Amino acid sequence: MSGPRFQPVADPKAHVPSVGRTIPHDSAVGHVTGAAAYIADVPRRSDELVVGFVPSPLASGAIRSIDLAAARSVPGVVDLVTADDLPAAKVWGPIIQDEPILAASEVLYVGQPVVVIAAETQAALEEARRLVTLDIVPAEPILSIERAIELGRFIGTPRRIARGDASAAIAAAPHRLAGVFHSLGQEHLYLEAQAALAYPGECGQIVVHSSTQGPTETQHVVADVLGLGMHEVVCICKRMGGGFGGKETQGVLPAVMAALVAHRTGRAARIVYVREDDMASTGKRHAYRCAWEVGFDDAGRILGYRVDFHSAGGAAADLSTSIMERSMLHVDNAYWLPHVEIHGRVCRTNIAPATAFRGFGGPQGMAVTENVIQEITTHLRGLGKGVSAVDVQRLNLYGVGERNVTPYGQTIRGNHVPEIVDTLRATCDFDHRLATIEAANTRDSLVLRGLALMPVKFGISFTAKFLNQGNALVNVYTDGTVQVSTGGTEMGQGLNTKIKQLVADEFGLPPAQVVLMPTSTEKNCNTSPTAASAGTDLNGAAAVQACREIKARIAAWVAPRFAGDGLGPAAEHVGFAGGWVFDTRRPETRIPFGELCNGARRERVDLGARAFYATPIAGFDAEQGRGEPFFYYTQGAAAAEVRIDRFTGDLVVTRIDLLIDIGRSINPGVDRGQVIGGFVQGMGWVTGECLVYDERGRLLSDSPTTYKIPAASDVPADFRCDFFPADDNVENVARSKAVGEPPLMHAICVWSAVKHALGCVSPAAARRLCLPATNEEILRALRGPAGPADDGGGWGHSAEMRSWDRAR
Amino acid sequence: MRDHLVLWVNGVRREVRGGDAFLTLSDWLRDRLGLVGTKIMCAEGDCGACTVLVAEPTATGRPRYLPIDSCIRFLFQVDGCHVVTVDGLARDGDLAPVQQAMIDCHGSQCGFCTPGFVMALAGACHARAAGEQLDWRKELAGNLCRCTGYVSIFEAADGAGREADWLATRFADEAWMQEGVRRRRESLAVHGHLDGVAMRATCPASLDEALAARMEPEARVVAGATDLGVLWNKRKLRPRHWLDLSRVSELCGIAVEESTGGSTLLAGPLATWTDMLRVCSERCGEAVAVLESFGGPQIRHVGTLGGNIVNGSPIADSLPLLFVLEATLDLASAAGTRSVPIHSFYKGYKHLDLGGDELLVRVRMPLPGPDSLLRLVKVSRRRDLDISTFTSAILVRRSGDRIERARIAYGGVGPTVVRMHDTEATLAGQPFTEATFRRAGDVAAGEIRPLTDVRGSADYRLELARSVLLKFFHEQTVAVG
Repeated sequence: MSGPRFQPVADPKAHVPSVGRTIPHDSAVGHVTGAAAYIADVPRRSDELVVGFVPSPLASGAIRSIDLAAARSVPGVVDLVTADDLPAAKVWGPIIQDEPILAASEVLYVGQPVVVIAAETQAALEEARRLVTLDIVPAEPILSIERAIELGRFIGTPRRIARGDASAAIAAAPHRLAGVFHSLGQEHLYLEAQAALAYPGECGQIVVHSSTQGPTETQHVVADVLGLGMHEVVCICKRMGGGFGGKETQGVLPAVMAALVAHRTGRAARIVYVREDDMASTGKRHAYRCAWEVGFDDAGRILGYRVDFHSAGGAAADLSTSIMERSMLHVDNAYWLPHVEIHGRVCRTNIAPATAFRGFGGPQGMAVTENVIQEITTHLRGLGKGVSAVDVQRLNLYGVGERNVTPYGQTIRGNHVPEIVDTLRATCDFDHRLATIEAANTRDSLVLRGLALMPVKFGISFTAKFLNQGNALVNVYTDGTVQVSTGGTEMGQGLNTKIKQLVADEFGLPPAQVVLMPTSTEKNCNTSPTAASAGTDLNGAAAVQACREIKARIAAWVAPRFAGDGLGPAAEHVGFAGGWVFDTRRPETRIPFGELCNGARRERVDLGARAFYATPIAGFDAEQGRGEPFFYYTQGAAAAEVRIDRFTGDLVVTRIDLLIDIGRSINPGVDRGQVIGGFVQGMGWVTGECLVYDERGRLLSDSPTTYKIPAASDVPADFRCDFFPADDNVENVARSKAVGEPPLMHAICVWSAVKHALGCVSPAAARRLCLPATNEEILRALRGPAGPADDGGGWGHSAEMRSWDRAR
Repeated sequence: MRDHLVLWVNGVRREVRGGDAFLTLSDWLRDRLGLVGTKIMCAEGDCGACTVLVAEPTATGRPRYLPIDSCIRFLFQVDGCHVVTVDGLARDGDLAPVQQAMIDCHGSQCGFCTPGFVMALAGACHARAAGEQLDWRKELAGNLCRCTGYVSIFEAADGAGREADWLATRFADEAWMQEGVRRRRESLAVHGHLDGVAMRATCPASLDEALAARMEPEARVVAGATDLGVLWNKRKLRPRHWLDLSRVSELCGIAVEESTGGSTLLAGPLATWTDMLRVCSERCGEAVAVLESFGGPQIRHVGTLGGNIVNGSPIADSLPLLFVLEATLDLASAAGTRSVPIHSFYKGYKHLDLGGDELLVRVRMPLPGPDSLLRLVKVSRRRDLDISTFTSAILVRRSGDRIERARIAYGGVGPTVVRMHDTEATLAGQPFTEATFRRAGDVAAGEIRPLTDVRGSADYRLELARSVLLKFFHEQTVAVG
């Protein structure tokens, strides 16, 4: 590429900043030529071992014995490791340390790693894996939220967020409704499976290349398990082939397995999960049971609202308590709830520990409320009131300057949601289309149509305050080129591209002069996982800060050299643009950036800087359920139109309109990709993606053959995506807003549109619908047993119940 | 008999001897040639990340580069062919138009699926006629992306689709084509050890040789390998001896035979779904929608009609159609040939009326006449690239307001695809009314005992068994107006 051979532009004032422009993804050339390497692509070292594991075949039981003799005798098998062999820590966990590295006395879920195997070849590994004999006394697995509640099996403490008196407000309301809403989990299906490559460093140190969103957590757990100091472990991540939250914590176990083998054998060791192991063994989005109760007036104004959340946390805590917190913080979505009471509890169940997934509990929190909006509308229409769901939504939105305090006490500033909803409603011709669709539904014997809109307000910041920090290392070289390293990891979201743009603009350079280096704990310590949509906010701000420190040093050094002809030295008048460093008072006084860097070095000016950024927020008190967890909110709205085959339940999403406020976009091409990609992923969660377990807790939908993410032909033929022109997020880096997670939640409107369609047939059909709205779930709702199904009497998703009968 | 493979990769001639011949194409590319641009995600032909282009040599004309899933193609199957991978698409640093368009349109995010999309797009741009507008949703149905939501990839495709065919000039055809044609006519018998196990592959060039090889009891017949490749990757299948039919010219070909009794589609068992789609779009339009949802393009380019029939899955997408058309199968052995009606070919779950020495050599499908109403309904979790939850074919001949005759076949409701004889009898002679079809639905639900599995519950399948009949009635009613 252009590299150091670039020429400064003729006039610094002609410099075009790169922030705000669509430049290609940092790795795009590598992506399209196949040259961008993932863990499996790194050339093999001659001593390298293949690592795998023996998964538990049972969801629950006591381990009586593990027989390794036959496996050990397989030629080419080099090492076998059980929990007994772990040198130091035997459990780990990002919040609560309750997850075994390897199953010790009991197994907790199907797919749980029990024995680590290292072999010379894949074939030897497979053979050994087959020959390990596990003697396990089966116990009753807890597979449903209801059963966990019955047995009182929970993770963490109960949480509550409340304002006013919800029960009294509901009791006094003109209309009351209650029900239980069920949503299922979601498999990340990142294209690159979990993978890690470890090799020994000097003096017992370990280097791990991991496909991880959290290098620091990986470093930390590897050190703990091996009994090393964190300074003896380096974790490196160049890129991931997708993460979506699935590699925030779940990358730890494979990294530990590879590191264990490298540590024990002194050889390089690589693990790449085969897809079925990945899907069976790693955690997913949480399934939720949401008991709700609402009181409202004739217009649909919510007067009192209660939600009781229970999530299926899986066999260990992972991030479940934090995820539950975010569900509770997003049950309001964009709506003012005067009297509200929200409870949250995580259930301990015998499936793989459920984990982060884009939205982090937010989707489940918003979905129950969108369901309630539809229920309120259906109820009022049943009473002959001429309201539509969008009227109810509009009526309940947070106000601008009033009715703008969340249940947890944070005042919403810069609320654009009402304007966004009104704009979208008009531009997508919502009301007219709604009338057309409802009229068509009374006539068409083959196709049922639905239309729904939803607003979204998503809080940006980790709710755990301490994670809202980032650091960056910027190295400027004497030819004027720049290397940047941050704690942020690249999983395709374009973090590195955006940081490259921010840094290039700080120095007034073309982006090609800036390279983002692999993320490594060696360069950036004590980092937060790249999560919570905050990657650019935290790491970008830190990188900008580092640039400014270097610029300040350069300016102080060069200012006297620019002085003369009546102008004194003035560091504040040193400008950086177009590849030049110049005196802004008289731009013809200038030096090419590279030449200047070389000169500065000779004068012993430090051209490297590490900087730190901490988001200025007050934070959230989880005990009290109050505080200011969020720096700002990303906001938007979307509308979905669907068509349903009345005879098969087959669903087609025909049109999407989406309007989102992401502030001043750093890279519109990258951001548009995040918005559309996030939406389609959310559409998968609410429609065709369906996790199916058997009655013993084994995941049946354990490969892309049986678990169906949206394919090209599922993308709505008419997909309109626009950015709302807001420019008021002044405190965040480059006035941008986080974009990673919010689009996913916009897709809940697709589910609402299905519910709207079913409501056109009968209120009971609509009430029966759980999430996701698979074809089977839709047909069951249309044809299922009579009567409302959400009275808490054992209803559930068709994929959980495995029959259309009501009894669980 | 040649004992080694000769093939070309990105323009370079390669000879392969020994056990490597039994690797999947993707494993060989990645592990032996170090061409790691080709990615493995699912290893079962369900994601397209491993897409490469393969051209068979032709004696005349230009080579046709078809996108295929390299993870479920055995190396011995591409003997004599030219394989183009993502690593070799650019020329001396000049990117192909599809590559540049993917960059410009932000068609990649994490990048892991990107090589597969690039190759699928390159193949589609290569195959399209000048000026032809392609439906990218269909062309890319065989590739999964989890990041982009596909829209930017469609935009890249639109951009690149206007450029000239890159592959037409990227590689010099003459060198490999000339030798490839000759190689493809040679019979092949490859021996070697893979993971310490002795294996061999026989690739006969004529039917006689194939029937002779079929006499060997251990020989496992393979055609497109779209199912066997999956079993191989899951280590559920480790045959010591492959009998690959892919170069037996007598088993290829597809034609429509006209006679006074009507038209009959005569297909060699090696006819691919791409071949079938071409013929059906002219002669049996109703089959097109189901054929188009048959895997993705990568699967349709190699998957065969014969493979679908002999694999005998109760959810095979082609079978309900073949059942209602009352197709017959010609089976041959060294001793002679016999014909069996398709409905009697299936004796139980994956249990066939096929001798250990027999091969399916011809499929005869009487095409529906203009007086017949044919409707195929496939129900699956996802429209494209999915295995059926339930499949059905309904063929009704109407005489005025009455149903003269009905043939109905369902799949996914039992151990084999079934003709719904009681349901057919309920419809025959009855008025063409909703009540008739509702009654038939009740009979249909009583005629089957479906299971609950990962693709759906028994209740769902029972409801579909009723519902597709009503759907048929209402569609006809709406169509008539």
